[in-house]
Amino acid sequence: MAELGSGLSRRRLLGGAGAGVALGAAGFGVGRWTDDGSASAASSAAVDGLDLGRSVDFYTGAHQAGIETPQQRYCVFMTFDLTASTAQELQVLLARWSAAIAQCMAGEPVGTVAPERAGAVAADTGEALDLGPASLTVTLGLGPRVFDERFGLADRKPTLLADLPALPSDTLRPELTGGDLSLQACADDPQVAYHAIRDLARMGRGVVNTRWVVLGFGRASAGKGQSTPRNLMGFKDGTRNIKEAADLDTHVWAADDDVDWMRGGGTYQVVRKIRMDIEIWDADDVADQQRIFARRKQDGSPLTGKDEFDTPDFAATDDAGQAVIDPISHVALAAHENNNGIRIFRRGYNFTDGINDVGQLDAGLLFVAYMNDPDSFVQLQTKLGRADSLNEYIAHIGSGIFAVPPAPEKGHYLAEALFS
Amino acid sequence: MPSARIRRGLGLLAAAAVVASLAGCGSDDDSSPSSASGSDPSTGATTEAASDDGSGEVSVTMANEGGSDTCTLDRDSVEAGPITFTVTNESATGVTEVELLSDQKILGEKENLAPGLDPVTFTVTLGGGDYQIYCPGADPEMVPFTVTGEAATEPVGDTQQALQDGATQYATYVDEQVASMVQGVQTLQAAVESGDLAASQDAYAKARIFYERIESDVEGFVLDGFKPTDNHGNLDYLIDMRASNLDPEVGWHGFHAVERDLFGRQAITDSTKQLAAELTDNVTKLSELAKTLQYKPEDLANGAAGLLEEVQANKISGEEEEFSHIDLVDFAGNVEGAEQSFAYLKPGLEQIDGALTDTIAQRFDAVTTLLDTYRDASELGGYQRYTAELKKSDANELSQTVQALQDSLSRLAEKVATA
Repeated sequence: MAELGSGLSRRRLLGGAGAGVALGAAGFGVGRWTDDGSASAASSAAVDGLDLGRSVDFYTGAHQAGIETPQQRYCVFMTFDLTASTAQELQVLLARWSAAIAQCMAGEPVGTVAPERAGAVAADTGEALDLGPASLTVTLGLGPRVFDERFGLADRKPTLLADLPALPSDTLRPELTGGDLSLQACADDPQVAYHAIRDLARMGRGVVNTRWVVLGFGRASAGKGQSTPRNLMGFKDGTRNIKEAADLDTHVWAADDDVDWMRGGGTYQVVRKIRMDIEIWDADDVADQQRIFARRKQDGSPLTGKDEFDTPDFAATDDAGQAVIDPISHVALAAHENNNGIRIFRRGYNFTDGINDVGQLDAGLLFVAYMNDPDSFVQLQTKLGRADSLNEYIAHIGSGIFAVPPAPEKGHYLAEALFS
Repeated sequence: MPSARIRRGLGLLAAAAVVASLAGCGSDDDSSPSSASGSDPSTGATTEAASDDGSGEVSVTMANEGGSDTCTLDRDSVEAGPITFTVTNESATGVTEVELLSDQKILGEKENLAPGLDPVTFTVTLGGGDYQIYCPGADPEMVPFTVTGEAATEPVGDTQQALQDGATQYATYVDEQVASMVQGVQTLQAAVESGDLAASQDAYAKARIFYERIESDVEGFVLDGFKPTDNHGNLDYLIDMRASNLDPEVGWHGFHAVERDLFGRQAITDSTKQLAAELTDNVTKLSELAKTLQYKPEDLANGAAGLLEEVQANKISGEEEEFSHIDLVDFAGNVEGAEQSFAYLKPGLEQIDGALTDTIAQRFDAVTTLLDTYRDASELGGYQRYTAELKKSDANELSQTVQALQDSLSRLAEKVATA
């Protein structure tokens, strides 16, 4: 593995340092430390650049954490269906979830783990106790059906929030598609991420039912300052991802959204569960794999360049006059140069569901992307779904679209403006 | 699941305190407390009308200051009388509820507190004395509070008495169910003896529900002369064991062994007759033991939660009625039994925690409304068979609806214990 994590951004880590003492560990990983001795966990993890004592601030008052936050190694992504009948139930849930997310992100339990009273059940399920914050972020999204006739919120629906249209090559399974709410919990300790989702789901019972979930075990995109990880096809993924704040402003943050509760830092989240036919891919020769991606497997460089970050030259031809980069390669079809400048911010994870019912490895990519107009994804995927050479080895089996409101200020909760 | 109680058998009989009514099934009895749902959506985002007589106003404020959550009162003393507490969570993410306590008993409370929601109020009439505001998760959690003036005019212990009254009445309900169960297995035995397979299947389905309504109350009995580890003397085992948990030394007995013959083998043999007779014998023993039971309020709370755990563990999976597929009948029995426990506690519980009471009542409604959609008078036991196809399509919704109820019910025991 090439990734050492030594380039993790520290920019956000210092903001909001409140309770703890900032320390340096092994020359990097400056962060917030808990008082309970999670420094020992951090020092062993420091070998691979992790700092499990690091925490991220929930109350940014701007963008929700878990988008431009340096991408953590693990993710649990869950969607929910609202079973509530009133907007007030949704309102209370969002307020309680916000407070609980703030607790979890600070590395604190969401309530008592071992209550003293006779007969009492625990408020917090306990499995993340003493694990540290592990850079946990939990990012909330609202799906289109929040704004149907049930809750009287129809006039607050963003124009851009609509079910994705049927797209070429879609093989979506209903049980892996849709959802009224989404929670993306990412952390550098998978148990910290799982705990957050578990306790939030528990808190939501009676108001939301669980719908689908994906457990991402390795990051498959890079943010600013991060090395580029690899997807399960063995290729570097996210080399050309959006990295700069100015590009995030242009392509990701919905500054001019038509509803007030999304302005000030909202964005749209498109999620696809993409199955990979791993055994078939592994039987393909590497030259063909490289043609399909238009990158070299070893170093991630484009077939027209030498270094990973060289800009692909889509016009280059070889001595025989053939295009060096196949026009139906994945990179060629997805490149912003070939899509009127459209760019999206990817934050994907590799997942596995074990073995399928015919004995094959069941795995793929949890594609999570953020953009200020979901039509960006629709345009890109329409093109990819029609022609991408990679389609022979993948299938989009799950899908969701969610409006991601800005983060609240301290003393407030997510999407609070929706209820005013 | 609350810890299983190991009960010693026949020695308790002398202490039988409750006379069993043999008048059949009690669940449809109009005299039973109902669990009609409240519609108060007081989940935290509304304010109730504050008292306007000016006799007492106290503000309780939670905030996050210097990295820890605090809980403060705007005054530490107030005159006796109706006192309205206005609770505001400004920024304390670790505090979600507040309780007014007197000597560890809950006099009033608010839950679902979170930063950003509107303030909520509750009004309690207090006599002179020392009280505490309890904010679990805050530092400190307990804030002392003094009421000056005359001591309470209302007798202390009303709530406790209401709960205990409910628990005492509940014993009658259990006795009725046990008596009906005895009749049910006698009818089953007679049908099996006659060799009539259809009549036996019908009798089986009818007998099951009585056990399912009260199984969490009558489990744990060990017959005299047996060790708790010896399943030869374990009445649960002898009455309700499923194929998945058989003890090879004891073999298969009880309802589900009969079920296997009647529905799996579709045949009545001498062995079936022996099993049915033995079932009557064991259920009769159980009925004698059950008469000795006395209930504390927390037994009802734990029992209700336990019944729903039975639904989640064995009915949703279709394991309970592997051959007859009448799992939804058992499911309904578990829910009815839990609802009775709750209904008997309700008058006292409302005084402790009206919001939780309403939530539980609403969630019982959600479960029973959902269950009603499976009613089918033409099927054994009055519900659709829980086939593999039905399970595949419907188990998710059934399970999540029950889980929402069980989660709220699991908080009951703590509430009634503090009454």
